[in-house]
Amino acid sequence: MAKARLIGDRTSKVMVQAMERRSTDVRGLVFQITLLVTLLISLFVLAVLIVDVVMDGWGILTGRPGGFLSGTMRSLSDDPKLGVHQALVGTFWIAVFVAVLAFPIGIGAAIWLEEYAPKNRIARFIELNIRNLAGVPSIVFGLLGLFLFVKHLEGVTGGKSIASAGITLAILVLPIVIITAQEAIRAVPQGLKEGAYGVGATKWTMIRSQVLPYAAPGILTGTLLSMSRGIGEAAPLLLVGAVSGRLGSNPGFLDLSAINAKAFMAMPVIIVEWVQNSGRDPGFAEAAAAAIVVLLVFVILMNAAAIFLRNHFEKKRG
Amino acid sequence: MRLRKLLVLIIGLMTTFVLVAAACGNDDDGDTTPSTAGQTDSGGDTGSDSGGGSSSDSGGDSMGSVSGSVTISGSSTVEPISVRVAELFESVQPDVQVTVDGPGTGDGFKLFCEGETDISDASRQIKDSEAEVCAANGIEFVELRVGIDGIAVMTGEGNSVECVTFNDIYGLVGPESTGFGSWSDAGTLGLATSNLPDVDLDIYGPGEESGTFDSFIEIVLEDIADERGQDATTRPDYNANADDNVIIQGIQSSDTSFGWVGFAFAAHASGVKLLDVDGGGGCVSANADTIASGEYPVSRSLYIYVNKAKAAASPAVTAYVDYYMSDDGLGTAVSDVGYVNLTDDAKGATRANWAGR
Repeated sequence: MAKARLIGDRTSKVMVQAMERRSTDVRGLVFQITLLVTLLISLFVLAVLIVDVVMDGWGILTGRPGGFLSGTMRSLSDDPKLGVHQALVGTFWIAVFVAVLAFPIGIGAAIWLEEYAPKNRIARFIELNIRNLAGVPSIVFGLLGLFLFVKHLEGVTGGKSIASAGITLAILVLPIVIITAQEAIRAVPQGLKEGAYGVGATKWTMIRSQVLPYAAPGILTGTLLSMSRGIGEAAPLLLVGAVSGRLGSNPGFLDLSAINAKAFMAMPVIIVEWVQNSGRDPGFAEAAAAAIVVLLVFVILMNAAAIFLRNHFEKKRG
Repeated sequence: MRLRKLLVLIIGLMTTFVLVAAACGNDDDGDTTPSTAGQTDSGGDTGSDSGGGSSSDSGGDSMGSVSGSVTISGSSTVEPISVRVAELFESVQPDVQVTVDGPGTGDGFKLFCEGETDISDASRQIKDSEAEVCAANGIEFVELRVGIDGIAVMTGEGNSVECVTFNDIYGLVGPESTGFGSWSDAGTLGLATSNLPDVDLDIYGPGEESGTFDSFIEIVLEDIADERGQDATTRPDYNANADDNVIIQGIQSSDTSFGWVGFAFAAHASGVKLLDVDGGGGCVSANADTIASGEYPVSRSLYIYVNKAKAAASPAVTAYVDYYMSDDGLGTAVSDVGYVNLTDDAKGATRANWAGR
């Protein structure tokens, strides 16, 4: 069995027979087992984490799921109105901001870098900087957001608002969006581009009709994964001013006035707050776990959308 | 055009999500009056509450109904009191939106003295430097003491020690005690300590992220550490936990343990012995009375600072602080979230401060 697994499906029968008659490949086997162990370690850690969180939050999640989703920040963990509605609204709009700002800008920058930029030192310098930006700690972006969007552009963003937080996180994920989109565009076969030129396409037509459709699944996966990362960030939001105690207003998901209201709330911040509160009131540990599960489901839904779209485009690409 | 289809698909998915979430959520689409949204109960689950909400609305008429918003920032320790007051206040004045943030006392005063907030929560009195900033910006405030946060120092039930001094505590958990395994080691630092027994020392306490940790250092350890030229912190080698219940379990587990948690948790714990503490004025046992009177040395007062001009201009701020000063605020709300009520005299003094602003 193990031998057969070493050989790919497409290898011809003759080759398979030739290879199977060899003596046992001990090193290969050790290598394979090592790889399996590394996979199991990472899966195990993840499973422990998820099982632990789900078990902690189980009481709330099964007891009053509707009340938890529609509730607000409360001071006592046994309050029946305790819930994540305000935070979920904040995180949802932040995600919309990231999608609307980071995706077009990031993908546009990637296309320019891959297709138009002259291959000289300046372009290489720019790319190097983008790669470095992707590794900058998120708290630094939080500082940028505080000075630029909260203080200087208060008239536009409304100060410590969802808009400020959304723009800050959009900038945070921008380098990652650019890099993943670049990789996807770079993977477009040269033959496709030359074929387009061969039938008389201009550069713009070639990009629109060949490069973008071919690269779309890759771009999509990368950008949506980076968004999942962005909306889980707590540090920059704390700097940009997410409220930790109580948010007076309780806007609905479709209430646009909430975007530049003076105060907002977000899922990662509510989780941090509840974990801290659990020292004073242990019931908050359960609420924090339930909030983590809600955020996980939100992120999984987004990733599911990414996978669905990718499959859709891959089918089209054929 | 494939791109257009992609766009349509994304928008479609987003809309679906919003609709699903909105269906789960409590949107009454009368969004023009957002203040009612906080009051609205979420459909079926808590339907029994809706009756209570409407009846309390009518009850608020006696005070006259006000609307507006109140912005509070400051200490994360006081934050739960202000939030609790806001929650109780909600049933009296449902149209007032109270937002409470807790970045810390210092950050709170910074915002307060720039006129950004109406009320500042504080777990200490305002510093002169902060008050100068307020004065420079023309902000007058009134200081209101609202509650007390006590810290209980504990050991196991079988321990013979009854009372510890600040020097003893410094010797047991201060920065220079790293590695000490016995209570009697506390005497080796050259400080005047009580006669502590030579028994194993197991320490349980809150971690650095905790406000109780900071207060404990500030009240007990800081002065001694400063005198001895040490950093004001604890030894690093003890069992730190963010969960007070875990700390109490740890203290229960050994007869010769030592630990400290917020008084609210210690008061309900069994199997532990609350140590008396001598802060220079003799041994005082920890209970609600000694904490309220300030005799018990390991406690601190909690304050709110109200911007006078904003209170004068906004009926919402005035109504909120009025409510804060009632027994629902200084009494119920403070004890609900685990802090110690002021004595009746001190409550009276706080109310007089507010009335005489």
